[in-house]
Amino acid sequence: MSARYTIVIGTKNWSSWSLRPYLALRATGAPFEEIVLRLRRPDTSAQIRQYSSAGKVPVLKIVEHGHTATVWESLAICETLAERHKDAGLWPDDAEQRARARSISSEMHSGFPALRAKLPMDFVRKHPTPELDEETSTQIARIVAAWTKQLSRNPGDGYLFGRFSIADCMYAPVVSRFLTYGIELPPALTAYCARMMALPAMQDWARAAQAEVDAGLA
Amino acid sequence: MAAHYTLILGTKDWSSWSLRPYMALRAVGVPFDEDVIPLERNATTAAVQRRTPAGKVPVLTIAENGQTITIWDSLAICETLAERHPEAKLWPDDAGDRAIARAYAAEMHSGFPDLRDQLTMDFVRRLPTPPLREATRTQVARIIAAWSAALERHGKNGGFLFGRFSIADCMYAPVVSRFLTYGIELPPALTAYCARMMALPAMQDWARAAQAEVDAGLA
Repeated sequence: MSARYTIVIGTKNWSSWSLRPYLALRATGAPFEEIVLRLRRPDTSAQIRQYSSAGKVPVLKIVEHGHTATVWESLAICETLAERHKDAGLWPDDAEQRARARSISSEMHSGFPALRAKLPMDFVRKHPTPELDEETSTQIARIVAAWTKQLSRNPGDGYLFGRFSIADCMYAPVVSRFLTYGIELPPALTAYCARMMALPAMQDWARAAQAEVDAGLA
Repeated sequence: MAAHYTLILGTKDWSSWSLRPYMALRAVGVPFDEDVIPLERNATTAAVQRRTPAGKVPVLTIAENGQTITIWDSLAICETLAERHPEAKLWPDDAGDRAIARAYAAEMHSGFPDLRDQLTMDFVRRLPTPPLREATRTQVARIIAAWSAALERHGKNGGFLFGRFSIADCMYAPVVSRFLTYGIELPPALTAYCARMMALPAMQDWARAAQAEVDAGLA
């Protein structure tokens, strides 16, 4: 019997952490169910605690051989999916490239606090570019430099490591933020953002986020 | 020819991020060179930028087959070591336990900002417990609950979070140090866990190096 996946995520228009493992799960091609919890409501914490002892979304539930494993944290979910679905090639095949992809992914996972605070994800809306403080500008410059280097090194399919990988999943919310807040980018990165937004999984996410906005939920 | 490892670290008394991959590298058992960059000095940023594009320590360089690769970020270094040294068993063998151990490690990696801010690592000093903000208290409580759950389930098989020592312990090693530095009250099972962690030869070596930094006025 194959495993049954359920991903528990937050309001799609806002939850940048949720988008990452969602894209990885879509890239595996495995069927899964979604539970979307409404963020920024009085009962949000209580809702999340039903699914996660860490009190945070996203969470992936894996039901297999009669028991359920509950994995939390975006990067841990991505690593677990990479391990369970080797055929999906979620990390680069080459060991050195894989180490690099893990560095870039971890850098996103633990870093860029100013960018996250100043440019919160608002997936389907467009906002005027806010005045950026020095810290945020430095963090944007670091991302621009890292993406530029990766895209020039690995032409392939046009993703950070050639083929789509967890590194792209980890930066997908940054793509959305750059578009939402009209951050100016070099042409190669504008093309990368367009390629990311054209992914069927990103388009599905955008439709769901738009529906949340239309329903007054985001 | 065997790979040659060099771990680039910050001041040991302070650099919590550096301690994590150091513990993993020690657990692997391979020889490695250390390059310690003194933090909080005028030349620090330039020294770090020379060694890594991300501008942060820790960094692991691996020289192998005439090439050098540079890996940055504590968790990425740990994952890469686990992959290169499966015999060191840096993650649990069981796939389900491994997934949970990764969740523990990642939760530390992205979280607990108030704990990190209010209880900064100062490895060898003992400081009074500061008045903790509510967010810090919540984060301390979460770590206590998470450690207790893991030790209850796996502790009898080796005394570490997932029984045998793993990357999960590496990631929380600086928290062990912080709890001791600031005298955070813990249940007995966790006090025993902290003592077990501090008794590891790698932690004792780290403490000696940190003490030398303090004695030399570098920390």
